[in-house]
Amino acid sequence: MERFDAIVVGAGNGGLTAAAGLAQKGLKVLLLERHNIPGGCATSFCRGRFEFEVALHQLSGMGSPEKPGPLRMALESLGVLDHVEPIEMTDLYSVLMPDGFRLALKAEKEATVLLLQERFPAERDAVEKFFDLCYRFANELISAFYFKDPDTSRDKYPVLYEYAFKPACEVLEGFFKDRLLKAVLSVYWGYIGLPPTRMSFAYLALLFFTYMEFKPYHFKGGSQALSNALIHRFLSNGGTVRFNCGVEKILVQEGRVRGVLTEHGDRYEADHVVSNVSQILTYVELMEPEHVPGGVFREMRGRSLSPSAFTLFIGLDCEPGAVGITETTNFLLDNLDFSDRVLNQMQALDIEDQLLVLSCYDVADPEFSPSGACQLNLVTLKYGEAWLRVPPTRYFETKYRVAESMMRRVEDIFPGVRAHVEELDVATPMTHMRYLGHPFGAIYGWEMYPKDTMFFQPGRLSPIEGLYFASGWSGDCGFQPTLEAGMSAANAIYQKISGE
Amino acid sequence: MEKRVYEDFDGYDEMVKEIEVSRKYGVNHSAATHEADQYIRLLHPARLKLEVADIRDISPTTKLFRLVSRDRYLPPFQPGQYIALHVEAEGIRTARPYSICSSPNQTAFYEIAVRRVPGGLVSNHLLDRVERGTQLEASGPAGNFYFNPLFHDPTMVLVAGGSGVTPFRSMVLETLESALDRTIHLFYGSKTAEELLFHDEFLDLSDKYERFHYIPVLEEPPAGSTGAEGFIKGTTVLDAVGDVEGRTFYLCGPRAMYDFCIPELEALGVRRRKIRTEVYGAPLKVWETPGWPASVKPGDTFRVSLEGGGAFETRAAEPLLSAMERAGILVPSLCRSGECSMCRIRVVDGRVFQPPGVPVRKSDRRFGYVHSCVTYALEDLRIAF
Ligand SMILES: Cc1cc2nc3c(=O)[nH]c(=O)nc-3n(C[C@H](O)[C@H](O)[C@H](O)COP(=O)(O)OP(=O)(O)OC[C@H]3O[C@@H](n4cnc5c(N)ncnc54)[C@H](O)[C@@H]3O)c2cc1C
Ligand SMILES: Cc1cc2nc3c(=O)[nH]c(=O)nc-3n(C[C@H](O)[C@H](O)[C@H](O)COP(=O)(O)OP(=O)(O)OC[C@H]3O[C@@H](n4cnc5c(N)ncnc54)[C@H](O)[C@@H]3O)c2cc1C
Ligand code: FES
Repeated sequence: MERFDAIVVGAGNGGLTAAAGLAQKGLKVLLLERHNIPGGCATSFCRGRFEFEVALHQLSGMGSPEKPGPLRMALESLGVLDHVEPIEMTDLYSVLMPDGFRLALKAEKEATVLLLQERFPAERDAVEKFFDLCYRFANELISAFYFKDPDTSRDKYPVLYEYAFKPACEVLEGFFKDRLLKAVLSVYWGYIGLPPTRMSFAYLALLFFTYMEFKPYHFKGGSQALSNALIHRFLSNGGTVRFNCGVEKILVQEGRVRGVLTEHGDRYEADHVVSNVSQILTYVELMEPEHVPGGVFREMRGRSLSPSAFTLFIGLDCEPGAVGITETTNFLLDNLDFSDRVLNQMQALDIEDQLLVLSCYDVADPEFSPSGACQLNLVTLKYGEAWLRVPPTRYFETKYRVAESMMRRVEDIFPGVRAHVEELDVATPMTHMRYLGHPFGAIYGWEMYPKDTMFFQPGRLSPIEGLYFASGWSGDCGFQPTLEAGMSAANAIYQKISGE
Repeated sequence: MEKRVYEDFDGYDEMVKEIEVSRKYGVNHSAATHEADQYIRLLHPARLKLEVADIRDISPTTKLFRLVSRDRYLPPFQPGQYIALHVEAEGIRTARPYSICSSPNQTAFYEIAVRRVPGGLVSNHLLDRVERGTQLEASGPAGNFYFNPLFHDPTMVLVAGGSGVTPFRSMVLETLESALDRTIHLFYGSKTAEELLFHDEFLDLSDKYERFHYIPVLEEPPAGSTGAEGFIKGTTVLDAVGDVEGRTFYLCGPRAMYDFCIPELEALGVRRRKIRTEVYGAPLKVWETPGWPASVKPGDTFRVSLEGGGAFETRAAEPLLSAMERAGILVPSLCRSGECSMCRIRVVDGRVFQPPGVPVRKSDRRFGYVHSCVTYALEDLRIAF
């Protein structure tokens, strides 16, 4: 039986940086991935002449070489930056409605404040104050936690103390009267998975802060390029990777991790195992029940599963401008209702008036698709459960019906799009479940009610010694958090091993 | 335990209460994993366990195999999709894709029609060694060659060559049986009349249904024949369909047919995005593909070593995937045409040839990944997967 210092289960973002980080420190590492390609969500697939991006809309935390963000520094330290080409997006997002409303915010605080003040003169002061609040919140959070201030107090961090657990909508209501403005400022709930009534203000503030300070980014070649670059670094540092090799069991003895058993019946030994898959799968499927401490189930009971997604991957035989697309990131709104009704919309099978996100990478990188063509990634959030009620024989027609209503919403805003469609593929929550293995296809891990936010997350540790988590299920979801989670799991293991 | 900073934040007590309540009344998520997993298996079983229920000769070179499931379940498919049959032929474990030619409404069995390819490993095995009762394994239905109502036109022009008619039979049957609001023109090119598959069935259906038009085109028509002859030309198509606007064209057949028909259609003003093509396997004579280096002869042999130990021999004209399978190395495969990326491997060292147009991800190209079903050694290689 082959022995490793550490084994990583899953080659999603968290698994990749954990593996790359450990190998870079000279440890003997095995990375096992069920699929034939690394990335998990961070992947792409080809149809016709298009290579479709699966998940990444806007990468946070990169920053420029002159003003690097935390993610750029992390990737730099892994030696990955020589192997990817980050692309900066200058627009933050634009909001579009079928009545002709269009507003494009810039990834720059002053410019966006001015723009909003011009558009909503009655809310002049509130706009300025709101963004100041977001910035102050983020800065206080960073100095208190990121830089681990040993001496925190309410006087020193008043905004943090007051706002950390507040729902976004309460804060927005406090600042603004204009419903349209409130809607425009809350669309990022789509990146968190809960309506503004339920989503924590903390995340809204952090998203504005990080995208404005460090700009939204993408990669040439899409998120697959990052995944491949991480594998490349891992291999260059002597790591071993096996694709098409799912882990069937994590072996535990007397409360300690011993190794893993693969779907092909191979056993590998290690005292440290990083799980890049959900806690549910790890504890329920990958372990014998007698090894799982009861507490972990109690802790999971208190949490709920995030929505999955319904996604259209559209290849057009024209440039974005030809159908009126001028920004990379577009939120399509049908109305200004951000009440809890949004939760019902996400539970329903069909798409009516809910928020859609449309990304057109070619606006920021004209080489993203073949010349003269462009691609759209159109996504909306949907809980996976409704799909279990579709009889398998009606799966395809249901998928097309739902996709059709989504297409119509796009045509309401960009008429004539359909006449340019050259390729079009549809992913349902079941597709996400199939490729990622997450229960009900949940794409954002556990739901992020204020009671589940950064202070209350399960984190990378497990009561089982030697088991670590690094994924969108152990902390915040998204590219930056999961990439960072893998790095901190790697550091923790390295410290443990070098301490021994 | 030391008090944590956030315990002093406004609203902390409520958070604690909420956590307690939700743990008390929360749900056990283990069920979610199982339920959804079960559903996915109904749509995409990892492997189909099949048995041959019946075999019929449908042309001098072709047999129709009726396949039933040993575990009594066949997943739904979209007409036009294929399954990859996994077989062991002459001691080699390998797989080949075959389009499902039965109707998707038929849940009791799938049918596939297999034509003999002279010297072919699997077709000969299926035609000569497989009998009623033989057990077979297959992938679930796969492939992207099907009607997509989101952007395809309800008037479908199907252009088939040889055994390429198989996916179209499924499309035709579905459309007519389910009374779908679509019109179909099927052009079917074949060398001889006796090699037309499902000819009588198509004739009957076109008599019965106004929305189905069947136009066989023979390269070598029998004396006195009045039908279309030669290749399927643009004019033949235009005569039958009237107008090319508002029609989507589907092509399935040998590569030579695409090389001939696509320019013909484009000359009629059909836009490229209106022409959908099924993949057709690896090139027959790869050494005649543009870009193949003249210095390498098809029969040249090279040594391929694997990262992590082991080595095998390959011929320049042989896809790496087939060479690996001959050497007993199992690599997953599905389309065997370069399209699906299932057979992705990494070339660590050495020159290879991959025909132009194979859809390999940009970053895969950058780091040396290839689709081994359409990749050929041009010198000794080192590979990893
Ligand atoms: C449609 C969509 C849009 C998104 N948009 C954004 C965005 O714009 N910005 C952003 O920051 N984030 C976005 N996200 C979220 C982000 O992609 C995820 O949070 C992040 O990629 C999750 O990474 P992870 O480390 O949790 O691993 P995952 O991507 O969840 O990967 C887990 C890996 O483990 C493998 N695996 C599972 N079981 C096993 C097993 N038994 N053995 C071996 N391997 C196994 C899986 O095959 C998979 O490769 C989006 C996600 C989706 C799906
Ligand atoms: C998506 C898809 C669907 C398919 N559906 C069908 C189907 O419904 N019915 C069917 O009979 N086949 C179908 N095929 C072809 C089938 O998969 C095999 O390629 C075929 O049966 C030959 O396999 P073999 O093992 O006998 O030949 P191999 O041992 O693979 O090939 C031997 C030699 O024959 C050449 N060759 C391979 N295929 C052909 C061919 N079709 N014509 C002429 N020479 C060839 C090879 O280049 C090689 O030189 C399909 C292929 C694809 C990609
Ligand atoms: S098997 Fe599909 S690309 Fe090779």
